[in-house]
Amino acid sequence: MATCPGCALLCDDIEVIVENNRIKETKNACRRGAARIKGCINRLEPKIAQKPSDIESAVRKAAEILGNAKSPMLFGWSNSTCEAQVKGIQLAKKLGAIIDDTSSFCQGLLIEKLLQKKFRTCTLEEVRNKADVLVYWGSDAQDSEPRHLSRFSYFPRGESRQRGYEEDRIAIAIDVRESNTAKICKGHFYRIQPKGDREFILALIDALSGKVPAYEPKKILELASILKKAEYGVIFAGIGLTYSIKDDFDILVALADKIPNFHIMPMVGHYNMRGFNENLFKETGFVNRVKFDGKVVHDNRYSIVEALREKSIDALLVAGSDPLSSLPRSLVRHLASIRVICIDPCVTMTSKIATVTIPCAVSGVESGGTAVRMDGKIIELSKIIESDYPTDEELLSRLMGAL
Amino acid sequence: MEIYQLLPKTNCKICGESTCMAFAVALLGRKKNISECTPILEGDFKKQKEKLEALLLPSAGAEETGMIVHPEICTGCGNCVVACPVDVANDPKGAAIGCAPTNDKVIFRVVDGKVVASNIKECRRFGKNRVLCYACIDPCPTGAIEFV
Amino acid sequence: MGIDVGKFLKNPEYEIKITTYRDIFQVEAQECDRFGKDYEKLSACIVMSKNDMAKMGLKPGDRVKVTNNNGSIVVEVRESKRDEPGGVAFMVNSPWSNVLVSEESGGRGIPEFKNITAKISLVKEETTTLESLMEYFRKLQ
Ligand code: SF4
Ligand code: SF4
Ligand code: SF4
Ligand code: SF4
Repeated sequence: MATCPGCALLCDDIEVIVENNRIKETKNACRRGAARIKGCINRLEPKIAQKPSDIESAVRKAAEILGNAKSPMLFGWSNSTCEAQVKGIQLAKKLGAIIDDTSSFCQGLLIEKLLQKKFRTCTLEEVRNKADVLVYWGSDAQDSEPRHLSRFSYFPRGESRQRGYEEDRIAIAIDVRESNTAKICKGHFYRIQPKGDREFILALIDALSGKVPAYEPKKILELASILKKAEYGVIFAGIGLTYSIKDDFDILVALADKIPNFHIMPMVGHYNMRGFNENLFKETGFVNRVKFDGKVVHDNRYSIVEALREKSIDALLVAGSDPLSSLPRSLVRHLASIRVICIDPCVTMTSKIATVTIPCAVSGVESGGTAVRMDGKIIELSKIIESDYPTDEELLSRLMGAL
Repeated sequence: MEIYQLLPKTNCKICGESTCMAFAVALLGRKKNISECTPILEGDFKKQKEKLEALLLPSAGAEETGMIVHPEICTGCGNCVVACPVDVANDPKGAAIGCAPTNDKVIFRVVDGKVVASNIKECRRFGKNRVLCYACIDPCPTGAIEFV
Repeated sequence: MGIDVGKFLKNPEYEIKITTYRDIFQVEAQECDRFGKDYEKLSACIVMSKNDMAKMGLKPGDRVKVTNNNGSIVVEVRESKRDEPGGVAFMVNSPWSNVLVSEESGGRGIPEFKNITAKISLVKEETTTLESLMEYFRKLQ
């Protein structure tokens, strides 16, 4: 059995048939996972200034760039093992650098509140065994964490949910779009307007407090009564919800407080984003956006987005991420004028403009380690095939040695 | 129709049918085998043949139950694997509780990220106590399973 | 001989709201080859409701220019599989949609990926390629 590093569900029931150190077939992994395990067709090559080089020289050049930078930043991390993340944090400390990860423009806010124990949460096993009301809010699990409904939440029979989804569970979707998840929640799909989450939450709070909600009263009252009757409810909070109420998280917590049997679980895409948040939290008390400046400083200015907007960094190490592809173009323009170092198994848009590129093994396929599942459980990754590429953890160690 | 589009469309009659269209119908009804169209086994048609196989293979057994699986639109989510009552009954410690199937008696499996159906004769839509079961159709996000 | 009026008239422009989402097939294509044709095909498109398409005179497969202050791209129109009421169109998260996302974040570090306004109009040009998006960055270097 192998673990799939395709998303933060880290499914550990995958069978892989390997022939001549090549992956021939996967069983049980979804389409997303199968693609991750099979790997990309364009592996990264070591380069300096876009000219072929070797790993050793590339690492040395990277150390030189980071060592000489006035304001270096280390970014990425959601596709790295916990071991590599810890190394990355040490490197940031040693350099007095800024460190941030993709959660900074994703689920970081929510995970920070979770680690500060601002709301009740639960594990996916508890969901499987106990949950009867599942609310997918701004989250299309079917496309992002494809086995979420089949492995844990809706379809499986659990200890106190023996009759399965037909009779024992209700799945609800609240979204702007009738997603694939919403399709499965047939009859319990609540469409909202973009940025309409706040209004929807306030209406639900009203309904739960016995008031007539100002907005779509009939539907909201019906939903409130389902939520109230839940024996064990879970709100799976997706980025749709996080983006929409980012300024005002407390209303979500206030909502959960109105329904005592409810839990909130942030939906995480990248396989070890939560791992980075937990590792940095352990070290600094913050989940992202930190600068090691003799002491630990946490500030929005140290988010990748603000750092690029204010052009406040002069060197960027990117580990396992592709900001050129995943951030607004108007923002990543700045990357073209600073020195960028890419550590990645595959060629990315960012690597094509990077000053230094260093290839690494695909973590969870060509190297093992540990990662944190979206509910906080630590999962062992598998080394499925051998590879000559060094792991990102090893590269970070070498980089630190070369400083 | 989709099947016809993938054939060589030369009406060469090697397969024993008078036209490619007739062959397509025979394929769908499982009266003929893809390999009986020898032109498609050669050269340029290789890709088309693979597509044809994907279209036809998963529904082997469809003549009884009418099940057709479209792997090309399947996300491999496994909802059908866990929801099918036959899988639940035959694999209470695996598929029934959301885990990977633990034996070969299940109808649905996910291979290379796409669904594959076997043991189709176990399907509740078949046999003398047949019922009109929708437990693999309704949970599918993309409509990858159909009964004709 | 009549004059081809269409030649001189600019195609009408409509305001549109766009929100981004994720599509497993596009993610799969990205895992395999982010510079490949499949990824481009599954990214350079905009999904619209039947209502909106009728209102704007668009057909599936038409190409549209989507423009706002942040940039401009040409993508293909797809019809939503679901009964969407309209008013909002959808694009997968990709370098294409990111051309349209504003860098403004209110200082809080999160851009408005899911809240884009743009103008849309029918065009004959080919869809924007990843290569041309890459070229944009190379020119800045
Ligand atoms: S759901 Fe996620 S972890 Fe599980 S197989 Fe799919 S991609 Fe891999
Ligand atoms: S052998 Fe193939 S090409 Fe020839 S008629 Fe039959 S289906 Fe058509
Ligand atoms: S129809 Fe019912 S019994 Fe038959 S395969 Fe589908 S879920 Fe299983
Ligand atoms: S439910 Fe549909 S998409 Fe999911 S594995 Fe089954 S056939 Fe594929």
